[in-house]
Amino acid sequence: MTSAGAAVRLSGLRKHYGDVRAVDGVDLVIAPGEVVALLGPNGAGKSTTVDMLLGLTRPDAGTVTVFGSSPQDAVTGGAIGAMLQGGALLDDATVGEVVGMVASLHRAPLPVAEALRRTGIEDLAKRRCNKLSGGQKQRVRFAVALVSDPDLLVLDEPTAAMDVQSRRDFWRAMHGYTDTGRTVLFATHYLEEAENYADRVVLMRDGRIVADGTVAEVTSLVSGRVVRAAIPGVTEASLRPLPGVSEVELRGDRATISSNDSDATLRALLATFPQAHDIEVAAVGLEGAFLSLTTDSTVSGAQR
Amino acid sequence: MSIGYLLLEVRRATRSTRFLIFTVGFPVVLFLLYVAIFTKGDGAGVGELMISMTAFGALTGAMFAGGRVAAERALGWQRQLRLTPLSGGGYLAAKGLTSMMLAVPAVVLVPLIGGLFEGVSLDAGQWIRVVLGTWLAVIPFALIGLLIGQVGTPDSLQPIMSVTMMVMSLLGGIFIPISTMPAWLLDFAKVLPSYWLAQVGRGAVTSELAAGLGQTVLVLAGWTVVLGLVIVRRYRRDSARV
Repeated sequence: MTSAGAAVRLSGLRKHYGDVRAVDGVDLVIAPGEVVALLGPNGAGKSTTVDMLLGLTRPDAGTVTVFGSSPQDAVTGGAIGAMLQGGALLDDATVGEVVGMVASLHRAPLPVAEALRRTGIEDLAKRRCNKLSGGQKQRVRFAVALVSDPDLLVLDEPTAAMDVQSRRDFWRAMHGYTDTGRTVLFATHYLEEAENYADRVVLMRDGRIVADGTVAEVTSLVSGRVVRAAIPGVTEASLRPLPGVSEVELRGDRATISSNDSDATLRALLATFPQAHDIEVAAVGLEGAFLSLTTDSTVSGAQR
Repeated sequence: MSIGYLLLEVRRATRSTRFLIFTVGFPVVLFLLYVAIFTKGDGAGVGELMISMTAFGALTGAMFAGGRVAAERALGWQRQLRLTPLSGGGYLAAKGLTSMMLAVPAVVLVPLIGGLFEGVSLDAGQWIRVVLGTWLAVIPFALIGLLIGQVGTPDSLQPIMSVTMMVMSLLGGIFIPISTMPAWLLDFAKVLPSYWLAQVGRGAVTSELAAGLGQTVLVLAGWTVVLGLVIVRRYRRDSARV
């Protein structure tokens, strides 16, 4: 992939707030058509990175280009549509008015009715924005982001405040958009959304990217499996010395043991605690990889 | 500047019942009430009251719209707009024009009632000076409202707005006739743009205590330039933050 044709290119991006290194050297190239999930715990630098990508915050160092031009030019040209966290709507205006006004600012917008239809809110066009539920508001914000018919969509926590059904509807609408070959970058706390909808996962921690690849690639960075079992009378201290064990979590009699060598751990476990039952062995999912890559400092050496 | 944005702004503002009561109803009612209380068929007195209430209505209408910026800033609406092709200048221009639109009902209604029902009789040039002149003279107040919206929060907006409107209309010679003011108060009144706002119309109905139109225009233009610069500066600082 050549960076010249990239949808997004961040290089050497840094932003400090006083002593806090919110973003501390981020390099990222996103190809047109990719759907990328940006993951990380709170304070990892996701929102600051998104703000710099959109031109809302000026980087202390490094460059941002979107389809080869500056974020400001990309915004003015209608190439970026963005849904910000808690992005504002006007309480005293109707849904149709807000979407229509944003459309009128752009040179080649979608018809307003089309934007409302794609986001599943055509029946809300005449509703005042202060009479909407949290999930409905999010879909109006989605329509606002979509109405310029952008090539790149940037979504910061798009499904926060949505119930399960609206979340599913949202992603269905999103699929309609990505099927046309557009580029999407979304930040989320819901790992299953990244697992289900992203071609690529970028994991941030302390202002840096600690893992970048497909879900399978990122998960494989964390070796090992998880052994779960009910073991009456067990203590954490007695489980830790077992071979291969990297982490132990105990709730009542239920033990969750992370292991680099689950076969050895399991043999030893059964030998030491014959009373163990209801045993499960599972691969570390994205959630496990997420926790491991963003909390355990020894694993961050495995980046990319 | 975007017509679509301007239209939505005006529609939103006129949707507020508070706006309709304070800037359309209030000056008209006060005008009728004052005429009934303070004048006894004295034509000049009615004319001065008409000018004062026109100025008052225009001033409140123009300031009201700018104050809404405070709520929009708190909501993050400005941030949202920065993700559209609307420029900062376009945003401020639309806000200023909206404020000016909201001054229109008062500068039309109060003189209309004065001419039709209260027997104020002026020639065409004088009417133009009262209506169009007062409307243009309200530009500094549109800017003051905008500035209050830029520095205020939704909580502090109401008190800042009320105090500013009070000072402007009481001490600027709109509610206290300048003919009754002691010299020191009159000197202070001349510091306020509201004194000059009222002077635009005053010169059309009476020559007593009326300042020259040239001087009036210069003072108001000075206010406009200074306020405009402060607002642009403030907007730049606001949007550079985050």
